[in-house]
Formats: sequence, C-alpha cells, structure tokens
Amino acid sequence: MNKFLAIVGREWRAYFFSPLAYVILAAFLLMNGLIFSAIIAFLNTPGAPKGQALPFLFTNTYFWIFNLFVVPIITMRLFAEERKTGTFETLLTSPVSETTVVLGKFTGALGFFLTLWAPTLVYVWILRSQTPIDLGPVAAGYLAIAMIGAYFLSIGTFASTLTKNQIVAAILGFAMLIPVFSAGLLETLSNDPGKRETFGYFNLWDHMEEFSRGVVDTRRIAYYVSATAFFLFLTTISLSAKREAP
Amino acid sequence: MIEVENLTKRFPTQLAVADVSFSVRQGEIVGFLGPNGAGKTTAMRVLTGYLPPTSGTARISGYDVVTHSEEARASLGYLPESAALYPEMRVREYLAYRARLEGVRGAEIRKQVEESIGSCLLEEVANRKVENLSRGYRQRTALAGALVHQPAVLILDEPTVGLDPAQIIRIREAIRRLGRERAVLLSTHILPEVDAVCDRVLIIDRGRIVAEGTAAELRGRLAGAPVVRASFSGAVDAREALANVPGVAAVSQESVDGETRVRLECAAGADPREDIFRTAVTHGWVLRELVREALSLEDVFVRLTQHEEPAPEGEPAAESTQEPAAAGPGDAAS
Repeated sequence: MNKFLAIVGREWRAYFFSPLAYVILAAFLLMNGLIFSAIIAFLNTPGAPKGQALPFLFTNTYFWIFNLFVVPIITMRLFAEERKTGTFETLLTSPVSETTVVLGKFTGALGFFLTLWAPTLVYVWILRSQTPIDLGPVAAGYLAIAMIGAYFLSIGTFASTLTKNQIVAAILGFAMLIPVFSAGLLETLSNDPGKRETFGYFNLWDHMEEFSRGVVDTRRIAYYVSATAFFLFLTTISLSAKREAP
Repeated sequence: MIEVENLTKRFPTQLAVADVSFSVRQGEIVGFLGPNGAGKTTAMRVLTGYLPPTSGTARISGYDVVTHSEEARASLGYLPESAALYPEMRVREYLAYRARLEGVRGAEIRKQVEESIGSCLLEEVANRKVENLSRGYRQRTALAGALVHQPAVLILDEPTVGLDPAQIIRIREAIRRLGRERAVLLSTHILPEVDAVCDRVLIIDRGRIVAEGTAAELRGRLAGAPVVRASFSGAVDAREALANVPGVAAVSQESVDGETRVRLECAAGADPREDIFRTAVTHGWVLRELVREALSLEDVFVRLTQHEEPAPEGEPAAESTQEPAAAGPGDAAS
C-alpha cells in the first residue's frame, strides 16, 4: 500500500511539473467557464426551468470532445516516457508488482483528471447561492464523471504501454476511445429493438444524461468498473510482455 | 549472495547469455568484464528480475529471481546502465521515493535517505533538481538510489561511464567502501577499473564466461613462459653463461648502440633475475637494465576476447540465425 501511494503521489505531482498540465487546466477551465456562462444566461431567461440548468455542465458536446482528446494526453506519458528515458528499468526492478505499478500510475492520472474537475464545484456553489439546486443529481453527475473518466483513462494507460513515443501513445489512445464512445451512438441508427438495447448499454452520452438527472443505474456502474478493470488487466499483460523485449 | 547456475538468455535473433555460472560472496566485489555487446547488461537484467531467463537459475540472497522475484528484488540494489532519473524531482525527493518503493517505511525513510546522500557525497546537491545536475552528480544520485534501502547485493552496470577522472575515483572509492559488507557485481569494459576496484574478475565474451579469477591470477595463467630482458654495456657474449642460469630455457642476444640486449625465455613460474645479476657480477658485465615482462590485464583481455573468425563450430551461438558480432552493435542489451 505504501509503495502504491508512493507511485500515485509521484505520478500526480509529475503532471504539475510539465507545462502540458497547465495548458490542459487552462483550456478546461476556459471551456467550462463558457459553459457556465451559458447556464447563467439560460437561467436568466424568464420562465426557464431552474432545476434543469446544471446537468448541462455534464451533457454538452464539448464535454465529450474534451474527454476524448484530453484523456489520451493525460495518460500518454505514464509508461511511454519511462520506457524512453530508462527509468522503467529501475521501476520494474524495484520490489513492486506490475499490478501495483499499473494501479499506481492509473490512480495518479485519475487524480489529475479529478483535479481538473475540482474547480467546477465552485460553479455548483455559486448557483446554489442564487437558485435552489437538488444536490443528488449533481453528486450523480460527478460520480459519472469519475467513472467514465476512469474508464477512458484505463484505455489511455493501456495505449501508453504500447510505444515509447508519447505522441504515438496519445494517438493510439484516441483511436481506441473513438470506437468505445461511438459504439453507443449506433443505437440511434438502428430500428431493431434488440440492437437498440444492446448498443444502448454502451451509449455513454445517454448514460451521462441519466446520471445528471440523478438516475444512478447499477448496470452502468458495472459496465464502467468491469471495462476499467479489463483495460488495466491488459496493461499489466502488456507490461509483462515488454520485459521479454526491452 | 549472488548464485548463478547455467543461466541462458536467448533473444529471438541471438544468444545473449550462454550457460553462465558464477557466484559472488558477501564482502566481495566482482568485476564483469567484457567487450561491448558481450552480454553483460543482459546477464545483469536477468539477475535483477527485469528479463526472465530462458533457462538456468539465478538466486539473490537465496531467493530465485523467477519464483521469488519480489523478495530477490527487495534484497538487491541495481544501477542500470542508463542511470535514468526523473528530471523534475529533487535529489532528496527522488531518494525518498526510491526508498518507499523499496519498502522502507516511516522514520527509516529519512534516515536511509540521509545515509545514502552521505555515502555518495551528494550533500551539496541534495535539494537541487535532477535536471540541473552534472553527469557525475546524476550518476551518483542513481547510485544512491540503488543503495538507499541498504541492500545486501549491489548490481552496478557500468557505474563510471561518462564521468571525468576525478569523479571516477570518487565513485570507485564509494563502491569499495560499499563492497566491504555487501556482495557487489559491477560491469565494465574499462580495464584499470577492474584492477582498482574488484577482488575478482569474470571475463565474459559473446555470452559466455571465458575466464575467472583475480586480476593477478588471470595474468599468471595466460602469461605463458615468462620473459626477462637484460642489457649490458659494451659488446659481451652472454649467451653461454646465461643459458646455464637455473630456470632459463633459451637465450637470444643482439648488439645495439654499444650495448648488448639479451632476451631470456624462462621456465614457467621461474624468476631468474637475481641469478642473472650474480652471473653478470661474476663476469664483470655492467648491467644496465633487468626487466621481467609482465602481461597487462589488457593483454589478457585481448587474448581472451579477440576473434579472427566468427564463433567456432559447435558453439551455441551458431544455432541462432544471427551471429552476435564480437563487439558489434547487435547486442540487444547494450
């Protein structure tokens, strides 16, 4: 556990030593600031249903564009960088299991991802001071952000083990996220109820809307958790294979 | 502390380590000497658990590196050839991180970090960022990272590469000090390093150990018949008298620049220099020079590792599809 926390701490801190982290943070806050001002504008419209405003923070198109692009950039360095510089060898010859290494790095990246979102809690606080807000759906929305974020990050983490080049790792991660995200959108292209139900199970966009309305469906949670576990497992397999061919 | 038996590591295109066996005891510094691409780094990577062996066994402090990998890794400190560090971390911070990864806990972390800073002479730079350090300090930081948990076994891959002579001397002193109570295996292709630091040498070439012993033993074993050179003032005929000196097998002489130079081939193990001196005195020759030729470790090394042909027939290397060149870039390990 101590070793795991050591890795988490190093990974999380490492982000803040790179200019990339600040670019991402700035872009993220700019985007959410614009969305927030749109929410405010919406609330100022006479007759607007007040309770419906905040979910917009989680269900807009930019939310998805941003996640699809930014998650691979967050994860690209996790393994690619260490393999390139050679610190990977020191890490893997420490008395730390591959699972601990993978979970530690993944958790560090998840920590950074959540750090990006943390300032948006201010929006909730501001809105709450002006208009009544039901905190249940807000909490569900943040839960979904954390879980879908973890799912995407696990894919990016896996991509980072496949190459020593960070840019290539980011592009691979993006290429893997696209089908994961768009599989659910196939739901809208089909009229067959069976297919619609199957694809619907993967429709992250709809899931996010459900969560932000306060609907916490355990099937969704089971999907994210098992998919995340699956990709992290693939990551450890990939690491073991890298030992064979340094 | 390090026990290696019939260790073999085969890559898809080459045999990097072929049936190597050796051991390193506590309090012993063993030098792993070989040309570039001989398989030193690969062997060390197997010992440290980074690469799995193809066959054979290796044990660190009694733990098998395959079946008890974590225990084995916990009892060794490894300085990889790259000596790679995290550039954004400060020296003290990096060492604390390494200590935690190695399983050091609580108040011990601080204590061990300060100790390794002390033993690698890093006090001046302990709060500097790694990226702002010179090559020598980085190397020492990496070495400090390898021993921050006080391992019983140290494996150092080319610990002095890229350092200036003053830094090399300091690193060597540090290694000698560390070797007193640990088992140290260090690789190098710098011959004076072996003489300066190691108690024993393993010469590895194309994946196999071709010689083993102390530097002096190796010189003696490979020197063949010792040769003594003497020179006398003026033209004298020393052949007959010197041929009768005990231990002298053959004498040849030539006259150059007003002196007589004699080359004496001696029986193995013989050192007839004192008798030669007495003979000279008896005959009234003025002795200008009397030297026993010693084979340098360099000569030993070259003799053992130079190849005019690729691997002789029957060598395992011949089975692989690609021949590892004697000093070529083919070694996946380097």
